[in-house]
Amino acid sequence: MNLKTKICLAAVILIFLAALAGTVYVLRPIDSTYVEIVQDGTVLYTIDLADAENQSFTIESEDGGYNVVTIEDGQIYMSDADCPDGVCISSGVLRSGLSIVCLPHKLVIRFVEDTE
Amino acid sequence: MKRLCPLVLCTCLLLFGCTDENSSESAVSRDLFAMDTYMTLKAYGDAADSALSDAAARITDLETLLSVTEEGSDVWNINHADGAAVAVSEDTYTILEEAHSISERTDGALDITIYPVLTAWGFTTGEYNIPDADTLAELLTYVDYTGVKLQDGTVSIPENAEIDLGALAKGYTGDAVMSILEDAGVTSAIISLGGNVQALGSKPDGSDWTVAVLNPFASDENMCILEISDKAVITSGSYERYFVGGDGNTYWHIIDAADGYPADNGLVSVTIIGDSGLECDALSTALFVAGAAEAEEYWRSENGSFDMILVTEDAQILITEGIADAFENLTDMTVQVLYLS
Repeated sequence: MNLKTKICLAAVILIFLAALAGTVYVLRPIDSTYVEIVQDGTVLYTIDLADAENQSFTIESEDGGYNVVTIEDGQIYMSDADCPDGVCISSGVLRSGLSIVCLPHKLVIRFVEDTE
Repeated sequence: MKRLCPLVLCTCLLLFGCTDENSSESAVSRDLFAMDTYMTLKAYGDAADSALSDAAARITDLETLLSVTEEGSDVWNINHADGAAVAVSEDTYTILEEAHSISERTDGALDITIYPVLTAWGFTTGEYNIPDADTLAELLTYVDYTGVKLQDGTVSIPENAEIDLGALAKGYTGDAVMSILEDAGVTSAIISLGGNVQALGSKPDGSDWTVAVLNPFASDENMCILEISDKAVITSGSYERYFVGGDGNTYWHIIDAADGYPADNGLVSVTIIGDSGLECDALSTALFVAGAAEAEEYWRSENGSFDMILVTEDAQILITEGIADAFENLTDMTVQVLYLS
């Protein structure tokens, strides 16, 4: 790996880490263990994290790209993606109040709202 | 400068993970991708459902009007008129008037004509690059907010100048959504437009909304919690979009029109809390560029008509007195409260 590649890589990693911070969001306690994975407004999966086995699966996007979702010990996160920025990966595990969003692929992982 | 551009880092935003056990009114939510970000809208009551549909349609319309890249948008038409006056929508005109007013009051700290410089740095495409001094010097000759002429619903800018409303569009959109919801009779709603939050009224049970701002130094932590009703909360920061150049220096997307380089006046984040989303959005960018001392001076000159939370690069938090009681610090940074008198 030459120096230029290293610098590029460092830049890319920093950009990944950067995009989350400073965001303002509405803080609400989540008492649900249900999450949904939504692609451009369509709910693809609804998963009960309390009950889900450890697994990884790939979601293809309309433009031919992909995201890999991993469930591990009752937590869910985006473990891989071929989007240009990778912010969804650097978001880490889904936290209360803050959805994981991959803008390029219009993919969202969020806790299910209690609709009654 | 926040902006409408084709390629953006997928900013991770907020959600409303909610239970409404205390509410007799049911909540309705919508989410959509618009203005290169992820937006969620939530409102309560019988009128909520149709009002949110109207709001979502309005967002899509505004996106079309305000986009800098979409051919035929108001902004595109202004930028491609070769100096001629262009008739624009009332929405665009209102935003431009507010931009001009804030630019004047902040001595050019907000400048919507910075777009050619932003492009040279690659912030509009993601193909980052440090422009050489000659390029910057030439592009800066096109940067001057006083060149934007507004008259009777028409707008003109000098040839070669280009404007971009990225620092204001989401804030204005928040106001537009609030007004649709209010007109429809909704009294309780909260929306997130890509990391900006704006609330209509309070929660259905009458209590304040709880809003968190992530720590600019650590994205897996909250910096603070705020209790708000009927307010917009909008943040600008150097961490939102940046790159490390071949020279090892970090360059971020909020450019100082004074020299064409990323604004470097000691702040890493500026959060504005106020009644108008448009004003909050514009001020978050302008005061980031201005720096802490000038931000404080501006706040005093406006008689504290808004509140702000400034985070300095040496990890100090400055907050204004109006938000002090509603602010909870979750970090080990020191907090200093600014008082008007």
